[in-house]
This record gives sequence, C-alpha cells and structure tokens, in this order.
Amino acid sequence: MDNKNLLLAVFADIDPAAHAVDLLRSLGFGEDQISVISGFPISEAMFGRKPQKSHVPLMALGGSILGLLVGLFFGVWTPLTYPLNVGGQPLVAGPPVIIVIFEMTMLGMLLSTFIAVFLDSKFPNLKPMEYVPEISDGKIALLINCEGHNCDAVSKELQQSGAESVRKAEANPL
Amino acid sequence: MAVMANSNQLHGKGHVMEPDHEAHLREEHLMLDPRPRSELNAMVMESMTTTSWKFWAVAGFLALVVAVCLGYYWYLMIRDGMGIAGINKPVYWGIFLVNTVFWIGISHAGTFVSALLKVFKAEYRRPFTRAAELMTTFGLVQAGLSIFMHMGRVWLFYWLFPYPNERGLWPNFHSPLAWDFLAINTYLLSSTMYLTMPLIPDFAMARDRSTGWRKSLYRVLAMGFRGTEAEWRHLRFAMNLFAYAILPVMFSVHTIVSWDFAAAMRPGWSSTIFGPYFVIGALQSGLSAVSMVLIVVRSTMKNMKYFIRPEHLDALGKLMLIISMSWGYFFFNDYIVQWYNGDKYTDLLLHFHEAGPVGYMWFLMIIFNVVIPWATLWNKKIRRNPTALFIIGFLVNVAMWFERYIIIPTSLSINRFPFTYQFYKPGVEIPLSFGTLALFILLYMLATRILPIVPVWEVHEGQAAHSIKKFGKEPVVTISDLE
Amino acid sequence: MTITKIEEHKADWSEVEGVWGMAIDMDVCSGCQACVAACAMENNIAFVGEEDSGYGRALHWIRVEHTWEGEYPEVHSTPFQPISCQQCGDAPCEPVCPVFASVHSQAEDINLQVYNRCVGTRYCANNCPYVARTFNHRDYERPDPLANQLNPDVTVRRRGIMEKCTFCIQRIHKGNEKAKLEGRSVQDGDVIPACAQACPADAIVFGRLDDPQSAVSQMSAQGRAFKLMEDMNTKPRITYLTEEKSYGRNG
Repeated sequence: MDNKNLLLAVFADIDPAAHAVDLLRSLGFGEDQISVISGFPISEAMFGRKPQKSHVPLMALGGSILGLLVGLFFGVWTPLTYPLNVGGQPLVAGPPVIIVIFEMTMLGMLLSTFIAVFLDSKFPNLKPMEYVPEISDGKIALLINCEGHNCDAVSKELQQSGAESVRKAEANPL
Repeated sequence: MAVMANSNQLHGKGHVMEPDHEAHLREEHLMLDPRPRSELNAMVMESMTTTSWKFWAVAGFLALVVAVCLGYYWYLMIRDGMGIAGINKPVYWGIFLVNTVFWIGISHAGTFVSALLKVFKAEYRRPFTRAAELMTTFGLVQAGLSIFMHMGRVWLFYWLFPYPNERGLWPNFHSPLAWDFLAINTYLLSSTMYLTMPLIPDFAMARDRSTGWRKSLYRVLAMGFRGTEAEWRHLRFAMNLFAYAILPVMFSVHTIVSWDFAAAMRPGWSSTIFGPYFVIGALQSGLSAVSMVLIVVRSTMKNMKYFIRPEHLDALGKLMLIISMSWGYFFFNDYIVQWYNGDKYTDLLLHFHEAGPVGYMWFLMIIFNVVIPWATLWNKKIRRNPTALFIIGFLVNVAMWFERYIIIPTSLSINRFPFTYQFYKPGVEIPLSFGTLALFILLYMLATRILPIVPVWEVHEGQAAHSIKKFGKEPVVTISDLE
Repeated sequence: MTITKIEEHKADWSEVEGVWGMAIDMDVCSGCQACVAACAMENNIAFVGEEDSGYGRALHWIRVEHTWEGEYPEVHSTPFQPISCQQCGDAPCEPVCPVFASVHSQAEDINLQVYNRCVGTRYCANNCPYVARTFNHRDYERPDPLANQLNPDVTVRRRGIMEKCTFCIQRIHKGNEKAKLEGRSVQDGDVIPACAQACPADAIVFGRLDDPQSAVSQMSAQGRAFKLMEDMNTKPRITYLTEEKSYGRNG
C-alpha cells in the first residue's frame, strides 16, 4: 500500500464509525480499501461488512486429524512394530489406545489453532505498521486507501461526519 | 391509578427508589460501571508497574525459601538418593505424589474460570480470567517439579518422552504414568496457549503505554498486534475453540491422574469412582485457591478493588458451595461402597484411615471440606467478606491436601500382606513442599508485575455489552451478545 | 590385513528353553532364612543397615513371613511362608511401568526387571499385590573386603532403581548354555536358584513347569498345592504347599 494515499480516521464510538463507513461506500470506496482497527473486538456486521477470511478453522481440523494420526502411531503402530509383552495385555489394547488418541487429537487441534492464529495474523510482525496508540484506548480507527480519490476531500468529509481526528497514516514501528 | 398511589406511599417506607436501585446496580456490578477505556488501561498499567518495598521484601523472602527448601534439598536428594525422603516399602509413593495431585488440582481453577464460565457465558468472569489462568500455568509447573522429585533417577526423565533413538527405547503407553505424561503436557501447552492469546491485545495496550525496558518487552510480546478485523477474527475463533476444547482436556487430565491410583490393584485404590471424584476434588481445591488468590490480589494491588468486587467473591463463594456439595457426594459414594462391601483389607483400610495415626486428617478433611462450607457459604454476607472467604478457601485447600494424603501414603500402608505394613514418616518432602509453594507464589507475584493481570479488552467488551433497561419500574441488567 | 566381519548375534527366543516355576513346601520350611541370606549373596543385594531396614527399606528379594493370630494362650501361628516375586504370567507390575523397565520375558516366561531402564517411578511396586519389589533408596556401602563377595554374573544396582527376585536368571542362562553344549535339553538339576540351593529342608523346588515329569510340576499337582492370591488372576509361577491356613490362600 502506498503510504501517501493512506488516511487514518479515529472515531470515539461505533455509530459514528459505521456512518463513516457508509459515507465512504457512497463515495465509491470498495470494501477492500477500508480497514477497521479497534481496541476491542467489533464484529464486521456492525459495519455492514463481510466476515474476514480466516484459515484458523481449517487448520484446527487439519491439526486434529494430524493429532489423531500421531495417537494411532503411539498406540497402534509402535507396539505392533516393537512388541513388548506387558502384563498379559494385548499389544494394542483398547482403553490405552483410546486415551492416547484422545490426548493427541486434542493436542493437535489446540496447537494447530494457536499456530494458525500466528500464521494468519502474521505474528510476530515487528515491521512498522500504520497504527496510533489511541486505538488501544478504545478508539475505532478506519484505515482508508484513498487511491483514485481526492484524499483531502475525503478527509474533510470524514471530519465533518464526526471523526476525532483524520491524518495521513504513517507506518511507525509498533 | 390507585396502584400508583399506593406504590408512591410504599416508596416512603424504605423500598428502593429507582435511581438508588440503579446506582446500587452500578456499584455492585463491574460490568455496569463502565469507565473510559483509557482510564481502565491506566488503572491496569498502574497496578502492574507499582511495587512497594513490601512487595520486594516478600519476593526476596520467597526466593530465599525457594533456594533453600527447593534448590538445596532437591540437590541433596539427587545426590544421596530417595533415602532422605520418607518413602519405604510398602509406601512407595508419599508426599511428592500428594503434591503433584494437589497442584494439578489447583491448576484446574484457571481452566474452570476462563473456559467453563466463558462457555456458560457467565459475564462476571471477565476481570479475573487471567489471574486464574496464571494459577494454571504456575500450578502445573509445581506439579511437574513434584513429579520429577518423586523419580528415583530423575536425570533420566526424558525417557518418558517418545523420541526416536537407536536403542529401541520407547515409553509404555499401557501405563497410566505415560498417559499422565501426555495429558499433563497437553494441558500445560493448551492452557499456556489459552493464557497467551487474550494477552496479545493487552500486551499491545501495554506497549502503547510504557517506556523503557517495559516498552521493548511488550513490543516483542505484542508481536505487532494492532486490532485489525482479521486479527480479532482469528483470535476470537481460536479463543472460542479453546474454551470449548480445553474443557474435555481438563476433565481428562485429572481423570488420568486418578487412574494412576484406580488402575492399581490396591485396597482403597481400585475404585471406579476415582475419575469424577478427582475431577470434582480438583475443582474444589482450584476454586478455593482462586478465591484466595483474588482476595490477595484485590487487597495488595492498586486499583484492583474496582475490578474485583464483592459480586465476584459472591459468585465464587456460591460455586465453592456447589462444588463442595458435589465433593461430598462423590466422597460418600466412594466411602459407602467400600464400607458396605466388607472386604477384609478394605475394612482394615477404612479403619486405618479413620482411627490410625493420621485419623485427625480424615476428620479435619470432612469438617473443612463439607461442614464449614455448608455452614457458611449459603450466607451472602460471609461470601462477600474477603477475610471470611479467604479463611474458608484456605481450610478447603488444607482439607484437599489431607484428602490426597489419605488416599496416597495412608492407603499404601495397608495391603494384603500384613507382614509388610509400615507407617509413613515424611522426611525431606516437607521442606520440598514448602519450596514448591514458595515458588508458586513467587512466580505469581512476579507475573503480576510483568503481565497486565486484568484482561482489559475483555472487561471493556463486557461493559460495552451491558446496559440497564427498564422493565416496567424495575431497572434490569441487559446483556447484548456482541459475538 | 583382512577385516573380520563379526556376525550380528540376535537372541533367538527359541534358543532358551523352559517355562520356569517353583514349588515351596511350607510344611517343611523351618523359617531359618538361609534362602534370604543365599539370595542376598548370589544377587549382590546391598546391606541396608538396621535403621533403614526397620523403616521397611530392606532390600531382601525373598522374605519369610510368619504371622500369629489370637490372644495368648490360644495363639495360632501360620506356617513359615517364603515369599518372593511370583513371576506372574499376567504381572500387574508390567503394564504400569512408563518406560518398559518391567517386561515379560518371552523366553523364560518370567518377569524381567531391566535395571538400566528403570527411572524409579515405583509404580510397579505399588501395583504388586505380593509386595515383592524393593527399591534402592540410597547407594549402600560395601566396605572392603565385602566387595570381593560380589557375584560377577549379576549387576550391582545403584540408587533409584527397583529390583526383585529374578529366579536367578543368571543361573538359568548358565544351565541352558551347559545343556546346549552337551547337546541335550535342560533337565531337573541343571538350574538351581540360590534360595533352593541353600534351603536345608529342601522346601524350595525349582524346575521346568513345561515338563510334566519335573519335580516342580509334580509337586504343583499335589492336593496341598495352592497359589497365592489366585483370585487376583496374576497367574503366579510359584506354588505353595501346605494343609494349614495361611495368608494369601484365596482370601
């Protein structure tokens, strides 16, 4: 994204921010030119936007299948390949196998979910990004790519619609 | 009209007027007492960065206790063998296993508060989920240490891990201890991840509000979190998944720990009720420990009286009462089946529990776990009184430690060959136990000054969702489901 | 210079013969404890000392039990009962070891304790219904010249390791090798564990259970014969013989 064409508008509350998004839409901005940054989670529907794509659910499913396979490996494959008779129990015994499979499946699912959050959000991201500290004070910021529009005019309209501040977005080290 | 007139008359006779009722609601409930987010942030930052000389004096003392009781005595035990501990034949497991089960029990507190209460949408959990989750992580650290302590050749602990090698070595997954290894590690990783995820936005907040070494630290820990829609969506989904998924893990962990005992063919151990009995026991000691920790945090950290209010102690007290009743049910279940059967050695065992040298533990266990909670926690005033709740929580934890002592070393004295019976006299386990307790408290204290102890964004989210709506004349708390 | 390739030798289970078992005649046992002493000599068992032994840490692999019931003068005493590891077929100590230090030997059909694998969790000892296992709580001293007494065929154990009766497996292997050298099958008399060798009353009889003609098989078939805690389904390899009431006889 070209730094020169980025605007950062900070709002104090959801309603003015939602109106601003409507305003931007009416000015011809596409959904991918607007991004919402907030200090507490706001669902996309509150701005009339589509839910963001997330790979976390798919990775959670994949991770649990991987965990299941690891559990089968521990509980079934290794005892059959390196057999050691213990206590007269069958090599692949029902209850122990169930327990091992359960634990490994849960571990796989939870680990992969966690890793997916990191991968999808591109954590750790220590590059300079467009951000202002007011956001963690509960403000809602709209990051607008006004390429193809008159940035100053847009900026004025946003200020009139109730933004606390509108400025050129700068990428600062976070 | 006549009704209105009557109710106007009633107002003067001490019935609550609407504005007072609302003010009372706001004073009572954190969720109805919103302050600007910047103020919440400042309060949490202040509580995190403020330390007094008393804090450092206590931390220093605890560090000394850890160095001596944990460090030095464990070094002695590794050097000289388990002989300086109290184990013998037939009591092969003693206080180390008691501590292991105890700390795993305490660690269930965090998951209960942050996951179970979240699943049930109990909004009052919001300010203290992190304080409870920290207990899980540090409790599991102490449990892990206690497990290592009980091993005869602890320097070979890594043999329990299934790693590829050229000697044909592998752990035995038929063994409840191997299941323990898998379950406890799964639980430790999962709860640490579950602690970390909601921490990221709070680290971002701390990064924005600190300078110096703290800023560098939080900058790294926040990992570039800004609060974009995508980041929130990933976090939200993951946190929801964790909340639901970590519950079966939590249940399975203490069940598997109970199977260390139930899978063994010992009188008094081979009981089918051990699974749920231990889970409820874990919740019992965990919840009481959460109450104790919250009361200490509330009274020693700045601004915490805003976040943790008598309503939270009230709620925890009610939960403690319910879990105490469940514990009583499971204990009685276990007891009556053993008592009724009349098997020779089980009879001997029950008699030894109640009338043996540590019979006082058995009685105190019942009094502290059942009699005292049932006699006190039904009373709202007692529940809301921090000192009273702290004492009750402490006694419950003592009783739960006694319970595990009765189940492990006391039961092991009795087996089917009276020729081998021996009492258990703890040796170096006692300073080592104090060492783990000191380490737990020390880690917790240090963590409260490095991590924001209150998940501010969750409190903010909750406060945004709560409002007071009038139903007729009554102001009623309304909660919007913002997810 | 030619390099000789050394053939890789893998133990072939079929090479070791015999399903081993023991019969102990409690009616002739005099309680002299010669078996206890002999076992300690043969198997390099450490001397634990008075204080630790009194606390229950004695390392004896075999113990002679003797119990009394009733009040004087109507005291009934049970016969002397030497109890060691019963080498169970379905040993409860085996599945609970997290590192496979307690496994079942396919060859000799007894329970093995692998000293160098043991990490000392002591779960096996808790799960043994016969309380047959002992643990090395310390490194015990063997002041000179006691170290000269050590048996070179048996490992010397350090602290932190479980140990138990092995049916003198070193003697079983020696007897097997001798029989193989002579090109015959292992017979009664080839293998005598230390306890059986030392017993002055010949109360302990050892041999092959898979040979119906062996002394131990015939003794196990007697009417006086019973197994300890048979209802626990551990399938022990030791048969006790006595007419009188004793502990462990089916409840």
